Amino acid sequence: MAWEYSEKTKQLFMDAVHGKPGTHMGEIEDPDGLGEHGSISCGDALRFTFRVKRHPEDPTKDVITTARYLTFGCTSAIAASEALCALIEQGHHTPIGALEIRNEDIVDYLDGLPEQKIHCSVMGAEALEAAVFNWAKRRGVDVSLLGLDVSAEEQEEGRLVCKCFSLSETYIKRKIKELDLRSIPDITNAIKAGGACMSCHHTPGGLQDLLDEVRGRDGNGAELKILHQVDVPGTESQPRSQTDTQQRSALSPYQFGKQVERAIEENVRPMLQRDGGDMEIVDIKDTLIYCRLGGSCEGCAGAGKTLKMLVERTLKDRVDERIRVIQI
Amino acid sequence: MSVIYADNNATTPVAPEVCEAMRPFLTDEYFNPSSMYEPARRTAEAINAAREQIAGFFSLDEPKQILFTSCATESNNAAIFGVAKANPARRHVITTAVEHPAVLEVCKDLQRNGYDVTFLGVDSDGNLDAGEFVRALRPDTLLVTVMHANNETGVVFPIEQLARLTKETDPAIIFHTDATQSVGKLPIDLQGNFQHVDLLSFSGHKLHAPKGIGALYIKRGTPCRPFLIGGHQEGGRRGGTENVPYIIGLAKALELAAANHEDEVAQLASMRDRLQQTLEERIPCVRINGGGAPRLPNTLNISSHYIEGEGMLYQLSEHGICASSGSACTSGSLEPSHVLRALNVPFTAVHGSVRFSFSRYNTEADVDQIIDVFPRIVANLRRLSPYWDNQNNAPRPDADQLVGETH
Repeated sequence: MAWEYSEKTKQLFMDAVHGKPGTHMGEIEDPDGLGEHGSISCGDALRFTFRVKRHPEDPTKDVITTARYLTFGCTSAIAASEALCALIEQGHHTPIGALEIRNEDIVDYLDGLPEQKIHCSVMGAEALEAAVFNWAKRRGVDVSLLGLDVSAEEQEEGRLVCKCFSLSETYIKRKIKELDLRSIPDITNAIKAGGACMSCHHTPGGLQDLLDEVRGRDGNGAELKILHQVDVPGTESQPRSQTDTQQRSALSPYQFGKQVERAIEENVRPMLQRDGGDMEIVDIKDTLIYCRLGGSCEGCAGAGKTLKMLVERTLKDRVDERIRVIQI
Repeated sequence: MSVIYADNNATTPVAPEVCEAMRPFLTDEYFNPSSMYEPARRTAEAINAAREQIAGFFSLDEPKQILFTSCATESNNAAIFGVAKANPARRHVITTAVEHPAVLEVCKDLQRNGYDVTFLGVDSDGNLDAGEFVRALRPDTLLVTVMHANNETGVVFPIEQLARLTKETDPAIIFHTDATQSVGKLPIDLQGNFQHVDLLSFSGHKLHAPKGIGALYIKRGTPCRPFLIGGHQEGGRRGGTENVPYIIGLAKALELAAANHEDEVAQLASMRDRLQQTLEERIPCVRINGGGAPRLPNTLNISSHYIEGEGMLYQLSEHGICASSGSACTSGSLEPSHVLRALNVPFTAVHGSVRFSFSRYNTEADVDQIIDVFPRIVANLRRLSPYWDNQNNAPRPDADQLVGETH
């Protein structure tokens, strides 16, 4: 996707990265107001600080003189941060007055933003609001004077689970039910939760817990692997160490695995180790045994032969004639 | 300003020789190869010769196993849907989490239609685990579709081994590989190292043929129903009048790739390695995505921590350098690249990736220019980053805490 930025946006960005005079990159030490918005995992984050000229009696008449930003983000996020600071400094606003600046003003200042980049301007407006709150606290100004709906901030729909995309427990649980989401990838695909930093997947109270809670712990059965019964005829497949009075028609996958394991421990591994080699079983599917040769067998030209002659022959003799050994 | 094109995994310039080979078929030799008259027969013969040459490139003695399509996306669709249609009894497909959308989205479409799809994950270098692969194979597995080389990181999967494991487990499972990024760069012998591969897709525009031509290898006897239904072209397996000039161009491009293969690979690897090494020396806090895995010789995917990729691309383009990024801001969605996320790239670095990919037309001077410009671009953005300490040119001591904070 090619860039569709206005000349103004491009100019502000290039001026900022080259640190031209008049740009607003930086951070004010011990500021009068500090606000942050976004996070690195979301793909953009902004730290906004300002300095005021203090009014000797009435803090609400403080005037913002300097505004600075540090931004992690794309071209338009950085340009929007420049726009925010410029708008504030040029307007000689009081902090409360600065709240009049909306994200639309930032968009206008930039001569427009591509639709999918509007969030960059929202980030500016949000950081400004946070900084003004911060100023009010520092200066002892009653926040109710700020004309903001403070309660909206507090009325969070429950605990935040996906912090990257700001999605709450209540919301995610509702969506798991509504959309019949069965796994974490399902949730991510449907509502983006857990799609960025992924830190909420398996933490306590995270997405997996919510899934378990809504669907029941084994609700989707996804973790249960279906194993195939290994049908081993009793006669020639009996281990030779056992007496032939014992006739069984089939081995369960567990018993089959145990016998393979034992045959390897007793007959195969000692022989391999004599030559400095070793082996591990990676998987067993029906009568297919997947092995990885290790030690000096690794990369040995005769490894394939060893597997067939030694491992497969032994297992065929001791466990089941149908066994095939496959080298990983 | 001259352009330095370092985005060859996206597309490549058409080779002048390819242009020359195509030219007659855009002008005088315009005939429909299906027509009966003499000039059309010549056109049909040209296509046959091209098909034979392409088959020869992969050491195939039966040229009919090569099917011409419009692009790799079509080849992938034709392969996956074609196999599904041919064997409706099996309903399980294995693929990886890092496939190109032309495979990933097709698999997800099968999933929406009731298929069970296993998406294999990768480790932090981008490698698949052979044990996990084996465990995913099931009695009802229809198809395995795993890319040969990854377009974003260049990581190469061991197709030789995976195809063999598949066929040794159950010869009825069809093995498909999307080799779009590797054809011409890595040796592929469909009678030799790739003998267990049933289906292989690639396209022309990644190897200096034009956009709009792709191919699909279908091993003889592979159950795969036609995807594009129409005329009798391609033995009835893909309808549509043959794209004659582009087919000729594709054959020429493969001929060029084969002719200079070893020199080219050595040249690409030396440019890429020098770029990687120098950038690693000059820029603190970078991560080479896929650096610990076998990789294509031409691809470097480098993440710079604590900055965002789109702003880097913009500055690169101001210097005439074309590259790409896996950052969310370049993807058109809110999420960074699915490949980098599958590698579990730390979220401080996942937005800051830039991919440089070279071709035979790049020069050491291009590499010099990137080396000159890129570290400054990174420094420019880090000066603006709330997580970077500019005095010490290192992450701020409290960066870890800061990145934990949200809103």
